[in-house]
Amino acid sequence: MQLISFPEEEVNKGDYLLVEDQRSHRGLIIQVIDIQFANIPGILEDILRDVMTEESIQGNDIDPLDISSQVAVLKDTKLLICKIRGALENGHPTHDVSWLPSRINSSVSKFPIETVASEPSPSRPILLGGIKQNPKFTIDAKTLDGRLNIVTGKKGTGKSHLSKLLAMSLLDHGAPCLILDVNGEYTNLTRRASGESSPYEGKIAVLTPRLSLRFTLAEVGLGTMMDILLHALDLPGTSARVFARIWRQLEQKNELTVKSLGEAISDSDCHESVRDALQSRYNTLADSGIFTDDPSAANSRQLLERLAAGEAVVVNMKNQSFMIRRIVVELLLSKITELLSRNRLRAVFLFAEEAHLYLRETYWDDIVTRMRHLGIFTTFITNQPDTIQESIYRQADNIFLFNFTNERDLEVVARAAKIDGESVKLLVKDLPAGHCLAIGDVVRDFPIVVNVRPLDVEALGGTRYFFQESSIVCPK
Amino acid sequence: MSIDDESPDATSALGIDDSDDCETIHLKPSEESPVAAVDVSSLKIGETETGVLAAIRGAVVWRSDQGYQYIRCGPLAFHLGQSSDEAASSIALGFGSSHFFTERAISRLRNTLERWIQREICASLQNAVVLFDGSLTVGTPDNPSAHLARIMESARERGSVVLAFSKSTKLCAFGRRITSLVSGAQAPCLVDIDQAVRGQFESHPVRLAGHVYVAKLADNGFAFRLDADRQVPQQERIEAMNRLIASDVVMQGYPETLRLAHIFSTFTANDVIAVQRHLAFAHGLRIAPRFNLRKSLFGPFGTWGAA
Repeated sequence: MQLISFPEEEVNKGDYLLVEDQRSHRGLIIQVIDIQFANIPGILEDILRDVMTEESIQGNDIDPLDISSQVAVLKDTKLLICKIRGALENGHPTHDVSWLPSRINSSVSKFPIETVASEPSPSRPILLGGIKQNPKFTIDAKTLDGRLNIVTGKKGTGKSHLSKLLAMSLLDHGAPCLILDVNGEYTNLTRRASGESSPYEGKIAVLTPRLSLRFTLAEVGLGTMMDILLHALDLPGTSARVFARIWRQLEQKNELTVKSLGEAISDSDCHESVRDALQSRYNTLADSGIFTDDPSAANSRQLLERLAAGEAVVVNMKNQSFMIRRIVVELLLSKITELLSRNRLRAVFLFAEEAHLYLRETYWDDIVTRMRHLGIFTTFITNQPDTIQESIYRQADNIFLFNFTNERDLEVVARAAKIDGESVKLLVKDLPAGHCLAIGDVVRDFPIVVNVRPLDVEALGGTRYFFQESSIVCPK
Repeated sequence: MSIDDESPDATSALGIDDSDDCETIHLKPSEESPVAAVDVSSLKIGETETGVLAAIRGAVVWRSDQGYQYIRCGPLAFHLGQSSDEAASSIALGFGSSHFFTERAISRLRNTLERWIQREICASLQNAVVLFDGSLTVGTPDNPSAHLARIMESARERGSVVLAFSKSTKLCAFGRRITSLVSGAQAPCLVDIDQAVRGQFESHPVRLAGHVYVAKLADNGFAFRLDADRQVPQQERIEAMNRLIASDVVMQGYPETLRLAHIFSTFTANDVIAVQRHLAFAHGLRIAPRFNLRKSLFGPFGTWGAA
């Protein structure tokens, strides 16, 4: 749908308008996705004439009716490219848009989209930020519950900031959050920007593999260990069967320790190639420092208790090798899945930053299908949208799109479900930093540009600059 | 552009080709002098239940030491109604059928503004070449000869010469369109065809107030009918042309001053929309698509005016 807008009418990309048909008493809710100059026939001729004569010829216009001002208006008249997002029937929003309003008998007005895109008074509000006509745009935490979310945008646009906001807001409502933090950006969420401790002190635990995140083999269990060996360490099937036999024998003898496991592998009477395969994997596991024989140094129980208590656990994987990350994530997901299936944990909101760095291929589909039904509700955060499979986009319930200028990235995100590709491309490429296009259940399928509110937390993970105003010292 | 262009007797345009008898006058740039040009445009903007809406705009462009300058007047909007209390009623009365009324009323409005600007410019300039758009043909009710006579007299009194360029002409001489008479001639030149065309107007109420030439002012340019004030001696008329080509840029055989006057007065599509918008705001007029009986009756199966 295209609308004409005169210069005095202030309309921006992303704004919502209501086209009310006076006769049928219905209205179409439309969103401005692009603004162009109205291509009125002859306008180029007029402009060319002005340009060609303005310097070479001077004179006076006797224009008693002030028509020239009307021509000036026409030259600045805009064409609003809009998409129909819904309709208003007797004041009630609907997505039935199988009709068109009259061109002649319709009026156009700005539409406060928050009145239909969010609950007037949600039971579990999350203050997301400001939108055009409302500085306090709130979503309901329920619209993130049981959902698959994607936060994406180019670097430095505010993805992690929004993820922190969502995680901390969920935490406010007692929802357990597990944050897989590859850049160490979430480690200071308990600190205010001023450096003082915040109300989240005690509600967020930061665990670092090898230092504060360690497990005994008994805590891990054979099933989880097999997942690690098969998926993270690519152990062949035959070797895996031998490993399982060794593990069970040690369990039966009540000698399941890291040390005894190594000795049992060395002493096993299996084929040399199998023993070598097991030995190399064992060395990797032992060197990872994640496993301990000291029950007092292991803290998987603490991790699970915190999650069960509705707190947040940040797994700081900064400076960890690819292998350690894969082992840790495999271990955690396997363990949490096990606990969820035993109903020892109700649900977990998983925040997975740059998940392609640690998530094995088969987990992607698992997360959006099986784990989702068990109670793992994932939010993927990435600045490389093509690292997320298209099937994930299609099944995403909520997508928060930050600015992208790269055409290829735009192509990828344009495939996002619940909104047409043209809208994505036109709206997203002009988003300023800190603004996102929210799509999906959180906005009741009315895509909204949100200026994400600031957070009073110590900033970490932002791009570190060499040239900073305060640090410039001029040599004398 | 003047509406009362030439309307020669159809039969008298036919004749034997003895164009070689016409004198070709070669022009030579002489001293510079002021050059001014006048043009006025009119346009029917719309219709109301009681009449038509029209707009006119006039422009005068002159070349001076500072370059080209202009004064533009308009757009001026008029409602031409049939009732006596309308502003333009004196123009509107007595024109017979509505279509004829419309065309004649608008052209009279245009002529009124054009003659006024021409009069003012001729009364203002000394020793100038004053360019009009169209011909110097007079004698119709809308274009009485007295008006133009006074304007040209005013110009003569100040040493100025009025020259009128017609962008299109139906005049023929020696069995050919007059503009083809200069096709082989070297520019800048004039061909004096006054004798050849004057006879075509003898039985007609309209009269030639100008001496008629065909002008080719630039090689590879177009040829135009040129009317020069008949009351000015031939040598002065030619000298005026010499001064014109010395003083003005001539692109494609057409004086730049007159081209600019045309550009400044002509209505663009946006001017039309702007006038309509003004009328809608100022007078509460609502723009509606024109009723089309053929479209209403036949819808997509209409022939849209074809037989």
